[in-house]
Amino acid sequence: MRHHTIPRIVTKLLIPVILLFGLYVQFHGDFSAGGGFQAGVIFAAGFILYNIIFSLDVGRSILSVNTSKSLMAIGVILYVTVGFLGILLGGNFLEYNHLSNTPMSGQLLGVFLVELGVGLTVSNVMVLVFYSFNDINEEK
Amino acid sequence: MFVKNLFSAIMATTIFSLISALIFLLLDGVDVSLTEAAVGAGISTILFLSTLKHTNVIIKKSNTPSFPLIILFLLLLGLLSFAVSDLPKFGKFNQTSNSQVTKYYINKSKKEMGIPNVVTSILAGYRSFDTLGEVVVIFIAGISVLGILRKKKSNS
Repeated sequence: MRHHTIPRIVTKLLIPVILLFGLYVQFHGDFSAGGGFQAGVIFAAGFILYNIIFSLDVGRSILSVNTSKSLMAIGVILYVTVGFLGILLGGNFLEYNHLSNTPMSGQLLGVFLVELGVGLTVSNVMVLVFYSFNDINEEK
Repeated sequence: MFVKNLFSAIMATTIFSLISALIFLLLDGVDVSLTEAAVGAGISTILFLSTLKHTNVIIKKSNTPSFPLIILFLLLLGLLSFAVSDLPKFGKFNQTSNSQVTKYYINKSKKEMGIPNVVTSILAGYRSFDTLGEVVVIFIAGISVLGILRKKKSNS
């Protein structure tokens, strides 16, 4: 698709906006619409668009399959770690009140970390599914 | 049933997703609308298309419409329309979604969590354990897609 001028130019213009919107939905999800799941999906959609228009090899040099696999696991591990931190710091599983000095800032930090974990896992699962679908395509 | 070409069927699904994203937006479900637009219209279309690319599905052309299918379609349509009449009226006050829990969330979540977005505070705060389950489900789904597709690669 690299030799089609109009998709290439439009994609070049759109991808920063899509990725920025994904980050906005991720980190501003406490205050406006959105959260980890939506942000992960938007981010993955932007990255997949980049992969379609430019070649898959360019995409893989940015985010390799192995990096994507480990990031996917790191997201879940981050979520569970926040949960067990709640127990270690003297609360219940996934209780954010004890994460910081005041319960309010503990809640903010906990929600932020948890959403980050969700976003990492979701976006990398989407990218990995896309990669593995295209591995089959390349063989045939 | 009415579409002969699989490509146009996929496009119809995409358009349906976009329209339902707009409906969610009109109903003030912005979070759901974002998800529907990105997953339903974006990523699933791409996955359908790449599946279509490496499968050689040929649909037989039939000039006569298949009556069993039409009857099944009409039956399903009737059943679903019957189910719609059971739904509570839109915006009605005394329905289950306006129960005590919802009032509690709307009144107390700002004071307890310090987060203005009630949806986020429910998903990541009050119902955090459910969200953990969801993330693990997505993780397992990713692992299983990797496993299934890798096996085919080594066989061929």
